[in-house]
This record gives sequence, C-alpha cells and structure tokens, in this order.
Amino acid sequence: MNELTIAMPKGRIFEEAYKLFVQAGFNLPAEISDSRKLIVEAPDERIQFILAKPMDVPVYVEHGVADIGIAGKDVLLEQHRDVHELLDLHISNCYIATAGIPNTKMNEIAPRVATKYPRIATNFYKEKGEQVEIIELNGSIELAPMIGLADRIVDIVSTGQTLKENGLVEYEKIVSISSRLIVNPVSYRVKSERINIFVAQLKNELNKR
Amino acid sequence: MSKIQMFEKPLGMRDSFPEVNEQKESIRSIARDFIRTKGYDFIKTPSVEYFETIGKASAIDESSLFKLVDNQGEMLVLRPDMTTPIARIAASKLLKEKNPLRLAYYADVFRAQQREGGRPAEFEQLGLELVGDFSPYADSEIIYTAIELLKALGVESFQITIGHAEILTAFLTNNTDNTKQVEMLRQLLVEKNLVGFSQKLESMNLLEEQKERLMKIIDYTIESNTFTDFRQFLNDDQQYLIDQVEELQNLLEFQLNDFSIVSFDFSLASHMSYYTGMLFEIHAAGSGFSIGNGGRYDELFKKFDEKVGATGFGIRVDRLLEVLPKQIIKEKHTLLLFDKGSFSKANVLAEARRNASEYVTLQYIESVNDLEAFKQIFDEVVIVSEGGSLRE
Repeated sequence: MNELTIAMPKGRIFEEAYKLFVQAGFNLPAEISDSRKLIVEAPDERIQFILAKPMDVPVYVEHGVADIGIAGKDVLLEQHRDVHELLDLHISNCYIATAGIPNTKMNEIAPRVATKYPRIATNFYKEKGEQVEIIELNGSIELAPMIGLADRIVDIVSTGQTLKENGLVEYEKIVSISSRLIVNPVSYRVKSERINIFVAQLKNELNKR
Repeated sequence: MSKIQMFEKPLGMRDSFPEVNEQKESIRSIARDFIRTKGYDFIKTPSVEYFETIGKASAIDESSLFKLVDNQGEMLVLRPDMTTPIARIAASKLLKEKNPLRLAYYADVFRAQQREGGRPAEFEQLGLELVGDFSPYADSEIIYTAIELLKALGVESFQITIGHAEILTAFLTNNTDNTKQVEMLRQLLVEKNLVGFSQKLESMNLLEEQKERLMKIIDYTIESNTFTDFRQFLNDDQQYLIDQVEELQNLLEFQLNDFSIVSFDFSLASHMSYYTGMLFEIHAAGSGFSIGNGGRYDELFKKFDEKVGATGFGIRVDRLLEVLPKQIIKEKHTLLLFDKGSFSKANVLAEARRNASEYVTLQYIESVNDLEAFKQIFDEVVIVSEGGSLRE
C-alpha cells in the first residue's frame, strides 16, 4: 500500500488529534508528541507525519507535499486554499466572535477592528454592510481595545476566559470552528483507495462519539 | 507599493530559460505529431480579444481577466482560455467548411493571480476541441485521446475522474425545493467541501428523506458498472442520462486495456460553469494540482448563436513539466574558437560538424572575456588556427 503523508498542527490540536487517531485503531508510536523531530514515521501504518505550524498545514496539503492534513476551520476560512474538506473531526471546538469594551459603540468616523483573521473580519463586516478599517495583529489581540487601537476585535473564543480577564465582552458570534480533515485534490484521486480506507476508519470512530 | 526593481516581472509572469524552454518544445512537438495523426488541425488565435465577446463568454471569472483598452476605447482582454476563441472561429467560419470539426491548440493563456505572486498568470495550454457532434462517440474520443496523449508524453501514473454535469443538476434538483439551494450545494461540491455540504443540508428546510438522499452522493464513489444503483435517484425522463454514461463507459472499456485509470464520480462538479454533459479531471502523481480537465460544453455555442455539440479538454503544460520525469537531453555542444586568420577554415569545419548533428557555436576568440569559464559550458572545445585545429 502507498505511503501516506499527513501534516499535523503542532500544539494543542495535535494532542487531541493524536488521541483520536489512536482511538480509531491506528498504531502510532508513543513518542510522536514529545519529540522535537519535524518528520515522524509510523511504520506499522505506513504513515509519515509532518509537524507544522497550524497556519501552514493547508499550504503543505494544497501543494501536495502532504496528502492529508488536520486544520482548524478558522485557518481554512482565512486562507481559501484549494483542498478538499472531508471530515469534521469535532475536536478543538470553539468559535470566532467580535468583542470589545462593554457598552461601547463603533467609532462612527473611523471604525477600527483588530484581528489575526483579516479575511474573515473583512467578509463579516462586508456582509453587515459596514465599512471598517482592519488592523492585522499577530497575537494578544485583546490589547487593541484596551489601549485604544481598535473599537472591536475579531478573534477565536473557546471559554471566554481571556476576554473576561481583560475586561472585554463578546458582541457577535461569527462562525463555529472545529478541526477538519483536509485532503489534496490529486492525492484524493491518485491514492483514492488508501485515503478512503483511512477516512472510513476515522469516520467509524467519530460516529461512535 | 514599493519601487519596481529592474529584475522584476509583473505578478505571475515567468521566464522560460533555455533548458525549460527545450522541454516545452519537446512536449509541443510530441503532442503535435500525436494529435495530428488523430485528424485534428492546429490553430492559432489572437492573444487579445474583445471583452464584450470572449471575455463575457469565457467561463473564467471576470476578476481573473487581464483587461486593457484599445485606442478606440474598446475594452479588450488577454485570452483567458482557448475554448472560447475556438468556439468563436468555429461558429463564425470553420463549421461552415467542415462539420464535425476537429481543432487543436498549444497556446499561452492569461489569468490574473490574486494570491502568492509566484503562481503563473500566463501559462501554456495544450488541448483539443471536437465541435459538431452530440454523440457519446465524441465524448469517448476526447477522453481516450487525452489518455493516449498523456501516455505518448511519458506521464506514468495518472487518474481520470469522470462526472456528468446534467446528472448532478438533475439529482440536486430532484431533492431540493429551489434553484438557489441547488447552486449553493453545487458550489460546495466544486470545492469538495463535504463538511460544508452536510452542514448546509442541516440548515436547509428539506424533508428528511431528501437530506438522506443528498448525503448519499458524498459516499457514492462509483465503481465501474454499478450505475444501475444510481438510477433510483433520477426520474423516468432523466434515465437517458445514465444511458449516456453507460454507453460512454462501454466505449472506453472497448478502447482501453487498463480501465483502472478511469473512475466515475457523479459528485464531480467543475468551476467551469459551461459544462453541460460529461466532464472529467486529470490528476497525475507528482503535481499537487490537477494537470488538466475537459468535458462537453454545448451551452457555450448558444452564446455564438449556434446549436452544435462540442466536447474537448485542455492540459496545463507547466503542471505537465512537474509530472514528467526529468529528461536528459543528449546533445553534443561544440565550441569552435577562431582568430583573424582562421575564419574561413573555422567555417568549413563548423559546417561539417553541423551536418553530423552537432550543435556548433562559432566564436571569435578575442571577444570572449573569460575564456576558461566560457569553455566550461561546452562538451568539446576546438581552437582553430591557421596551422591546424587544437582540440581541448
């Protein structure tokens, strides 16, 4: 059988995805997660794992250097890569929302929104019919309203704890997020048999939950 | 925008350096010889067309068109595909002379890129169009020729996935309430966003049995000769569509030794909106992107006021290059260096070697700045002097 290459996001999603794979009956080496290696083999399954930044997983899959990947819906929405989205893994569930300082309105003259997701934010405000200035930040988005850089932020919310601790409240929920199994369009056809078996095995486990 | 540097090219434009250029030429000449034996004539069309005609009729999204204005103020486009210009020529002239008409092309097409500057915005496409034939024989000829062409070019591992635009439309229409829903679902299938597809179904106000049937198309990867199962999803007056696909399958099975490279998938949908009948995609191991696609596009000719059947395919040459094994071109490049006194002698020698199929560069020795570096480039170096030739 052909070898499969799977791009996995490092960090929290990895732990959950690893657990899911093991529960679905895949025989994976135990040391994957705590190794610093970027490429890890699972010889029993003829699977090769690439460990990547979550934002980069769809890039590897789109270019076909990985057949399969696990990516958050937030990343997929932001990047619009040419990949097939086959399964909702129902892990790392959270959502994207707008937030800001309580009881405030958007500045009428120069409304500003800070976000790590410029495309999602742009589309959201476009659909609402509001023209806003999008400020792209790479982290600690919650700072922006606190120090007067922006009126609102668009960010991932999982428990709401970070918002609370920084005195912010959620305003509108934009979209639900979970991790998805994505596949390269060429691999999907050329390695179809192998991938179908892999997907069926995962699906089987997901249906039990 | 930052100041443009001297080495920069417009977004998505690429140079073809000699080595790559030779590879492309070799693809072109193999393809040309092969395609002409199948009775197709090659054709060239202008790089620039009217936006009003070709630009609007083309299936390529308007945001991807390169637009310019001529000195009369008319909006022009760089041709985004070859199918539309060929439809224009066929409808206005060539079909009157020959019908059915078989045309082929190898040409640059232009599609503006919004993302990642390195993606090509100009690339060569190689394709065929068979115009004036509604029959499954034409469809199978196109698919079979695509397969044979790829083999002739040396592509080792590839898959052809065949779908049918009308069957998909019929299936979606039978199980939804309006065309808006059909379009939303089709768009998700174009992206092969199966998660989105099932979530969209949940949010739609449809009967449970409709949802169940729609979900089936996702799991329905059709192994050859099981189309009969799919018949239940179509009405009586739509059954002829399955007949068409079965006939196509029979014809292909007759022609192909190895049918395993062909599979059918009725959920296959294309971003090329003009396909009306069978459609197919070509995927090859070695490139992460589809290398070509094709299908039946009778609808396009209505825009040119003709009612004819048309079917064809196009292959991207840049993707083909990724897939093909690296060719080692065995050519002997010789350098003949001459000085003032040996010019005529060098000419005679060069002529003789060229006749023996060597690639000979004739160079006046005094003009070369770094002689040692220049010599390194050639397989053989001969210094021609009045007394005699010195081989190095």
